[in-house]
Amino acid sequence: MPVNPKGEAVAPATASKVRASAQKGKRRLRASALVAATAAAVLALTACGGGGGPEAKSADGKVELRFSWWGGDKRAQLTQEAIAAFEAENPNIKIKPEYGDWSGYWDKLATQVAANDAPDIIQMDEKYITEYSSRGALLDLSKYDVDTSKLDEAALNAGKGEDGLTGIAAGINAATILANPAVFQAAGVPLPDDKTWTWEDFERIAAEVTAKSPKGTYGAAAYGTDEASLGVWLRQNGKSLYTADGKLGFEPADIKGYWELLKQMSENKAVPTASEIVEAEAAPLDQSGLATGKNGMAFWWSNQLPALEKAAGGELQILRFPSKTGKAEDAGLWYKASQFWSASSRTKHPEETAKFIDFLTNNVKAGEILLADRGVYPNSDVREAIAPKLAKADVKVVDFIGAIKEELGEAPAAPPKGAGAIQEIIKRYTSEVMFNRLSEEEAGKKAVDEMKSAIGA
Amino acid sequence: MSAIGELSTMTRRKGPMSKEEKKANGRDNKAAYVFLLPWLVGLVAITVGPMLMSLYLSFTDYNLLQPPEWVGLDNFVRMFGDARLHNSLRVTFTYVLVGVPLQLGVALLIALVLDKGLRGLPFYRSIFYLPSLLGGSVAVAILWKQIFGTTGLVNQVLAMVGIEGPGWISDPNTALGSIILLHVWTFGSPMIIFLAGLRQIPVMYYEAAKVDGATTLQQFWRITLPMLSPIIFFNLVLQIIGSFQSFTQAFIVSGGNGGPSDSTMFFTLYLYQKGFGQFDMGYASAMAWFLLVIIGVFTAINFIASKYWVFYDD
Repeated sequence: MPVNPKGEAVAPATASKVRASAQKGKRRLRASALVAATAAAVLALTACGGGGGPEAKSADGKVELRFSWWGGDKRAQLTQEAIAAFEAENPNIKIKPEYGDWSGYWDKLATQVAANDAPDIIQMDEKYITEYSSRGALLDLSKYDVDTSKLDEAALNAGKGEDGLTGIAAGINAATILANPAVFQAAGVPLPDDKTWTWEDFERIAAEVTAKSPKGTYGAAAYGTDEASLGVWLRQNGKSLYTADGKLGFEPADIKGYWELLKQMSENKAVPTASEIVEAEAAPLDQSGLATGKNGMAFWWSNQLPALEKAAGGELQILRFPSKTGKAEDAGLWYKASQFWSASSRTKHPEETAKFIDFLTNNVKAGEILLADRGVYPNSDVREAIAPKLAKADVKVVDFIGAIKEELGEAPAAPPKGAGAIQEIIKRYTSEVMFNRLSEEEAGKKAVDEMKSAIGA
Repeated sequence: MSAIGELSTMTRRKGPMSKEEKKANGRDNKAAYVFLLPWLVGLVAITVGPMLMSLYLSFTDYNLLQPPEWVGLDNFVRMFGDARLHNSLRVTFTYVLVGVPLQLGVALLIALVLDKGLRGLPFYRSIFYLPSLLGGSVAVAILWKQIFGTTGLVNQVLAMVGIEGPGWISDPNTALGSIILLHVWTFGSPMIIFLAGLRQIPVMYYEAAKVDGATTLQQFWRITLPMLSPIIFFNLVLQIIGSFQSFTQAFIVSGGNGGPSDSTMFFTLYLYQKGFGQFDMGYASAMAWFLLVIIGVFTAINFIASKYWVFYDD
């Protein structure tokens, strides 16, 4: 190999230059690594920081109220129409809507309340109403001008607690099973008679639909991802989710059978596999198995039928829950306040806020717009007045609520403080059982322990 | 201040400072503070302030709705008995200890390939960097969910060769692995840094090695790795810190609940659930400080260990 005589002389010079610049670069890197490390660590702590937004200012004498709810597109559209009707009657009050999905709603509300930036009117759920009212976050509406004389007694009582009337029921609904007749028809299986069916029937029929349907379609969706189905199960076994004094109303042994049946149904393909159940959980209403024709039956609240029919593009049928005895009056159903209208205790305009809640509750115009989207109207006058206006799907819901009236069980105790965490616990331990990570006994014991500590009882 | 400016003041400092000099210095300082002000306000208002607040809250029982109540070390003591927290630590450590080395390995490998002087290098560099820009985003996490679903792309491909794949993200045995894969896929930013580092290694070392008959592998072990070790160290520190704090992917892929069966319940996700889902902000604040300590310890270990393997060419 020929050696370049100049090479030796040139190379060291270049090398030292390169090395010098490389060293400089490395030192800079070392220093910046430190800075970056500190900065990143600091970010870990501040990621959750946040501040309140600007207060609602009344410009040109107008009062602006903020109103937040959860729900899908259909509800957003109807609610905004109702707001427009209210604003037309009350030109001095402007309502600013804030809405989103159920999943993010509660995180956002908790943050807003903590930041002293709560919306004036809050759509509230029974799981959280005690949490918020016992901590003084909700206004006692009985002190303001909201007419409750026409409300059904049960609906009115649902919003009453130690801290006064902190919520007014927006609608009445019931836990149901919705069936997609198209799936049954394609499988050549007749729809069940929901007045006489038992859990065994439910399992057998669902398995039959699965067997006669294309791959990926199941006779029924799984329960165990909600607390309503557990509530029904416990009631049918003489227990309840909660007791009247705010404790847990059941023991590990009571939840065992609930999971045993579910697991058995998954094994004989009446309901989907564990993985599919987890995936289905995350799907919004429009993409749920029932709406996409992948499930013959699924567990939903009665007021969700119209939205689900719209998503499914066909008719659905409402069924009672199966019972242990095959008697409809043993199904243990109850009327639930689907949602509440609540007001922030820190609202600057309690009178106007109450006026809007009164409008939503008692004004026929509001009723004609909202119809049965949030359940059956608890105000009997409004309910009658809007009856002719109801769409076919709404009529089904109203009729069902009427039909089960004589079969209802005792009204369940109100969920105590901390009840918002229960659903997530049920879901998690259903997964543990379905993936064979815990036995039904172990899961029951752990779940009950966790639930007890969540509601502080 | 430029290096030359620094030098000139240093030489002048030999004697006592004259009045004018002090004045000028003061003016300079004032000007510096004025320029610093926007950053300083930001630091105090959105970093130091909330940090001190969270330190205070970590010693309280704070449910977001009522004023915090002082409980001393209760929150920290509770952490010892919280099985879900221990599980979240296990998940997070697995993610960091598996995901970071894998990601850096891939990044280095791709950087080595790109460093070979490929035609159209800027194009490839951009393509490989793209996932880094997208990887932390909500959209990609949603896409990931689709690809790894029971009937997703991966299983469709597997079905073609007759394998029935699991529900990758809905099965507790594979869910965390899927998220680690998402992390590895975002190897772009360490790759760019590696590439810059590779460019700084003087070519003459390789030439000399070649003359001595060293193989490519020997060159990699004896030249590339030691010369690159400061860059590897830098990437390691950054990625470990970042990974301990990762949140978005797990939040979106699991639908916010860290499921199935808490298998993707990252520490940060549990912290978020405690704070905002269960009205336990005092405990969540304590968790945040615990995470800071963990990250601090890991970073310290990193710096101490670096003495034994990081080669500074000086």
